[in-house]
Amino acid sequence: MSAPVVAVQGEPANELLRLDNLKVHFPVKLPFIQRLLQREEAVVHAVDGVSFGIRAGEILGLVGESGCGKSTVGRSCVRLIKPTSGRIFFAGQNITKLGGENLRALRRRIQIIFQDPHASLNPAMTIGRGIGHPLWIHRSAFGPQKSGSEAFGQWVRQRVLNTMREVGLTPEEQLYDKFPGDLSGGQKQRAVIARALILEPNLLVVDEGVSMLDMSIRAKVLELMLDLKRRHGLTYLFITHDLATAKFICDRIAIMYMGRIVEIGPAREIYADPKHPYTKALLQVIPIPDPDKRKEKVLPRGEVPDAVHPPAGCRFHPRCPAVLATCGWEGRDFVDFLDEHLSDPKRAGDDESIVGPIEGWHADGLVASLEAKPMSVEKAVERVETILAEAPVAMTQAIESVSAQKRTVMVRFHPPNQLRQTQVQDRLVECLLYQ
Amino acid sequence: MRKGETLGVVGETGCGKSTLGKAILGILPVGTQVEGKILFRGRDLTMLTNQMYRRLRGEEIALIFQDPMTRLNPLMTVQDHFIEEIQAHEPVSSTEARTRAREALISMGIHEARIRNYPHEFSGGMRQRIMIALALVLKPSLLIADEPTTSLDVIVEAQILEILQDLKQAYSMSLLLITHNLGIVAEVCDRVAVLYAGKLVELGSVRDIFHKPLHPYTQGLLSSIIHLETKELHSIEGSPPDLIAPPSGCRFHPRCSFAQSICMEKVPPLVEFEPGHFAACHFGDKFL
Repeated sequence: MSAPVVAVQGEPANELLRLDNLKVHFPVKLPFIQRLLQREEAVVHAVDGVSFGIRAGEILGLVGESGCGKSTVGRSCVRLIKPTSGRIFFAGQNITKLGGENLRALRRRIQIIFQDPHASLNPAMTIGRGIGHPLWIHRSAFGPQKSGSEAFGQWVRQRVLNTMREVGLTPEEQLYDKFPGDLSGGQKQRAVIARALILEPNLLVVDEGVSMLDMSIRAKVLELMLDLKRRHGLTYLFITHDLATAKFICDRIAIMYMGRIVEIGPAREIYADPKHPYTKALLQVIPIPDPDKRKEKVLPRGEVPDAVHPPAGCRFHPRCPAVLATCGWEGRDFVDFLDEHLSDPKRAGDDESIVGPIEGWHADGLVASLEAKPMSVEKAVERVETILAEAPVAMTQAIESVSAQKRTVMVRFHPPNQLRQTQVQDRLVECLLYQ
Repeated sequence: MRKGETLGVVGETGCGKSTLGKAILGILPVGTQVEGKILFRGRDLTMLTNQMYRRLRGEEIALIFQDPMTRLNPLMTVQDHFIEEIQAHEPVSSTEARTRAREALISMGIHEARIRNYPHEFSGGMRQRIMIALALVLKPSLLIADEPTTSLDVIVEAQILEILQDLKQAYSMSLLLITHNLGIVAEVCDRVAVLYAGKLVELGSVRDIFHKPLHPYTQGLLSSIIHLETKELHSIEGSPPDLIAPPSGCRFHPRCSFAQSICMEKVPPLVEFEPGHFAACHFGDKFL
């Protein structure tokens, strides 16, 4: 059952989990013809180079919007998903490629709790059987003295009742034979927690574990998690989109955007003084439950882009309110800008007849180009420059040239600056503003 | 509900807030027993025939549902949705309907060239904007929004709320916002109605509700909000009751720390404790 132990150099010894440049790419299913024509395979860059560690006894919050890859990170830690590349260490052991009996042994030490307690419980199993099920699955690990089926069954029952009491699923004797359908949402989530705890794991991955619960019972479940941490020295990876909840429960916070961690550090410092513009945006949109404190918000534009073709440079740059000229501007940013400009009849005037239609524009890396009508190349270049006067300053500064080559209008951008994680005070930030 | 105001209807899962919205629009399941009256501009909606109700929906009262992913027909282009709705109410040509659809989309920041696209070609936030555009294309005077942002990301949620408020101004319509999120209510509503287990327990201006809640349930709900300044977690003991056999008297009494014997025996009436501030609690004056 022993896998080779690989020590990670330069990391604190008390780290329970460490991700080292983790990447998870999911292939996109394409029709046969497109697959033939496409040179490279299309993949969703769900997780694209994530590294962090969780110290024993700590709660690390992994926060981001849907599709940012936070759940994929969580599932990779439990090895429900095979990473594309990178390494995962648990208690110093490389678990990236673990399989068979070793993987089964690992699952006794890492458990996961999902968002929907109703979907997590087998509706045909009583609560007691459901909670005790992991013990039956891992039966061989509990020694030969419990080999007699009846004796083991008794032992499991006792242990299930104890755990139920511990998570506040009481009266436990009555609830033991109930079915999930008979329980309220809060009780179901307690049952899910009990099932995760019954193997006495070291690490709990909680994937949006309280998001579906009503406000009036959410606090109770959070308190239970904090309580279990104190009593069992549990370590948590707490995955959520809700920064307010994360603030209350987490020791450290990692903010994730499009498969990358943009800011990670102690929770208190990040909330007091967020550095990354994305973190600032997320904090700003949390509603304040006080009608006297209404205020105007500066919202990031648009929505999270397609993760098959993530933006160049910093992935947040097309939406960032603090964007610089060097953040990663590229051809398609110009096409998007032009699209927006042309869709507003008041601003566009006759622009579409000269630089349009928008479908004629193609973006390839740093260049956006238009196959113009033979007579109007010069005129189109001129008009593009006029329109650009309205563009965000950072974008205009990022443009290397607007030119005409034969019959093609080309808008070329400067290549972006290399983005690195930078130590800012007590945290790591991936943003050119701090580099 | 007054003209031009935003009324928030808040409550937890199963409190009846969505049912309330559906009842106003007359889209409850067939066979549902409805008692009482719904007065809209002096007309009792419960007396309307199906045909009259069809006229009213969309034209005078419109609804936005929670999940923009499933509420648009995947086999219809965006423009078909608009044409269908407009022509169901007004005898106009397809060309004119299309023009209006285009205007509605542009006002939502969606390029008119995308009018022939199918719902799956749009992101969640854009689909919700299309839903809003669809709801508003006939210029209703009341918009019912049932958890309009719940399935959206937090930043997109803030964007959509901003759009809804701007439109409310522009169209001078009333907005009934059904939500479980009290933070949103504090940010956008003028008045608030709190529902618990199918009953209206408190009604008042947003300041009344947030600064001096009278009903113990409202108080509990407010203190259980987790926001950035939360120092201590609070929750309400127990869980919402089974509505097949609701508790006697005040439905909140089994979870209420102030409950007396009268609370078990008598249903508390909705009383106006101060001008415009109503609560259904036997001891509401205690908290004034």
